[in-house]
Amino acid sequence: MDEWQPKITTFLCNWCSYGAADLAGVSRFQYPPFFRIIRVPCSARVSPKFILAALRHGADGVWISGCHPGDCHYLEGNYYARRKFAMLKGLLEHIGIEPGRVSFSWISSAEATKFAETAKIVADEIKALGPAKHFIKKRAEVA
Amino acid sequence: MQEYTEKIRETAKRLLTEGKVDVFIGYRKGTVPMMCEPVLISDPDKTGLLHWDSNCALNLCNYLTKRTDRIGIIANGCNSRNIVTHIIENQIKREQLYILGIPCTGMIDPRAVKRVVKFREIHGVEEKDGRFIVKGDGFEEAFDKKELLQKNCATCLHRNPVLYDELLGDKVPEQDGIEPFRDVKKIEAMGSDDKWGFFTRMISSCIRCYACRNACPLCYCTTCFVDEAQPQWVGKSTDPTDTMTFHILRAFHCAGRCTDCGACERACPMGINVRQFTKKLNKDALELFGWEAGLNDGQRPPLDVYKTDDNNDFIR
Amino acid sequence: MTDKIFNKKDWFDTLKGLRNSYRIFVPVREGDFHNFRSLEDETIPNFDFFNTRLSPKSVVYPQSERMLECLNDTESPEHGVLKEAAKDYSQQAIIGIRPCDAQAFQIVKRNFDNPDYRDPLWVQRFESTILVGMGCNAPCPTCFCSSVGGGPFSEEYLDAIIFDLQGRYLIKGLTERGNEIISNMQGGTPADVKVIDESKAIAALANERVTSTVPSDKLTEKSVTGLFGAPFWEDVAFSCINCGTCTFLCPTCWCFDIQDETCGKQVDRVRNWDTCMSPLFTLEGSGHNPREKKFQRVRQRFMHKLKYYPDKFKSGVQCSGCGRCVRYCPVNIDIRRVAAMMNEY
Repeated sequence: MDEWQPKITTFLCNWCSYGAADLAGVSRFQYPPFFRIIRVPCSARVSPKFILAALRHGADGVWISGCHPGDCHYLEGNYYARRKFAMLKGLLEHIGIEPGRVSFSWISSAEATKFAETAKIVADEIKALGPAKHFIKKRAEVA
Repeated sequence: MQEYTEKIRETAKRLLTEGKVDVFIGYRKGTVPMMCEPVLISDPDKTGLLHWDSNCALNLCNYLTKRTDRIGIIANGCNSRNIVTHIIENQIKREQLYILGIPCTGMIDPRAVKRVVKFREIHGVEEKDGRFIVKGDGFEEAFDKKELLQKNCATCLHRNPVLYDELLGDKVPEQDGIEPFRDVKKIEAMGSDDKWGFFTRMISSCIRCYACRNACPLCYCTTCFVDEAQPQWVGKSTDPTDTMTFHILRAFHCAGRCTDCGACERACPMGINVRQFTKKLNKDALELFGWEAGLNDGQRPPLDVYKTDDNNDFIR
Repeated sequence: MTDKIFNKKDWFDTLKGLRNSYRIFVPVREGDFHNFRSLEDETIPNFDFFNTRLSPKSVVYPQSERMLECLNDTESPEHGVLKEAAKDYSQQAIIGIRPCDAQAFQIVKRNFDNPDYRDPLWVQRFESTILVGMGCNAPCPTCFCSSVGGGPFSEEYLDAIIFDLQGRYLIKGLTERGNEIISNMQGGTPADVKVIDESKAIAALANERVTSTVPSDKLTEKSVTGLFGAPFWEDVAFSCINCGTCTFLCPTCWCFDIQDETCGKQVDRVRNWDTCMSPLFTLEGSGHNPREKKFQRVRQRFMHKLKYYPDKFKSGVQCSGCGRCVRYCPVNIDIRRVAAMMNEY
């Protein structure tokens, strides 16, 4: 297929969102195949370094998903993550990364339907933005 | 502002002679116009070196990190807020410090001075009765302080020190009618491509000297992320993507902790307005979490705490 | 003789004409300061400067440079074969370089081009670079070229020298390559005795203006271990923030670090300027760091510039008096003050 297929680096917390993705798969729910999933213990594990690294490697989008606030397996991780993501999203959009490239969600392990639906929404949003234009590290631009 | 020089010298001498502090950290007059050099004095007879004027713009709190001795230090508004942040972050203990608070009317920006005399060579800048007399090769011109103020001082809302053991002068009235985030809002109004163009152009002259990082009191990590090798998050060359990565990740490490002291912009040898990154984060910390760094030594910084009803709108 | 006079209003056309035979570097205004840039179609040269912010050392020795490249692809016959990155060493000229920066190249050359070691990248690039200098009519208070073997109109390290005479430039050839580039410059008129006298007067005036000094006459006599153990290093080093400003702006600093970078199957071996002020500069693989403390690094820099280099090469200090470190050090550590302390110790 010649049509461009986005690459979306996806960080899913082990206890909730990864379980939802697993359940979606087992239940044969259809969702776009653009997601490269990385399992992390908790959404709080996702450091801005990871998000920047994904963008540097040419990811067209980054999606981070964790447990609902109040349901974090480690009790408070996603609360800290929520504040961190709010500030990082603000900074990334401020320097010119298009809104929608980096997105977040809370999906519990039972919500396989929500996972498939959110995946479709994220994929559509990134397809509309087009391939990533900024922040890609190719060969060093040096003399 | 020079009236503080005598008071600083007297107090430093007294503190050292009485053995209340082991060392005193202040500034000495620079060897080139519009510069002051941070200095550490342990001999009470050398306190005559100490000096204070509108060029004392490097943040002395930078020199406090992990010291174990008893230190006398001078601090204006922003520097005192950085001391509070240092205490909260366990980089120094309150008991170690004897702080001389200085109500500050702002620092002048050498770049602004050079621009206003159209880049003719400056031999000296003298502060007299609130006016700044700039002398150079065949010229002498006088300016008001507000024409020459450093950008962060022009929008400063905390000119008086927030933490001190002794206040060296009467508190100055805080500025009003200031819109501290006007330049941030201007950028926020741009489209994504224009924003990217703005920031790419702004850092295009960066030579990765790390003067901004090293002048910042908040950057005290023993291993900075730029020096991490496994994995390597950012390359060491002047590649534009690597340079952008360095700047935004460094700014993010200061999220919610930056007091806008301007040391980073002052230190940059290429005159880059690096505060454009941290100012956005300061605005967000204020609007999202009601937080301004270094004003309260009892509260944890915003990314260190949470509320169960924090803003959730941006999350699906 | 080949010396020529050019009217300033025709000067840019003359420079553009030179592009037929050379790659030309000129000072260009960038924001609040100047830097040397390659003269392209849209470039606007600007000679209204004291000196460039960054030294022209990057014309010969770029801050980041690809040295070698190779493929990391087991299916390719070239897998793992290191190849030299393609470079263009055709003739180039730096127009308007100040005598201090030109002297700096000679200082660095002793390190990069000697019987024991020849840096192929630096040497090839330097040998293809012609230095058409511009004397300084108005040396700055921070200039101290005269006390380190140079001067505002020093001709020793240049191929040709330009005298700025109000509305005109006088260009004097100093070497064969200098004469050749002058003969390639279109639009000038032969110099007359009156103009040459004018130029000598300007040079004499300029020489008198350099009053700042770096006292270094007694340094080679002093004992290395004595200076090394001097008590003033902690004081000198206190304010240093260990950035790379002095080293990167300095035309005589030469240290670098080599890193391999990969992008997919492509591997590049890149050389970047490095700074001895960085704590990582001497960090060894074992974890030991001989210059772990700040004062050790600051001491190293001044000892290298003012003691180790003159002791080793016996040709003066490793400094050309350009004054950039003095002007742009964020904390105002002044090499002139430190040199005086070392000289008197």
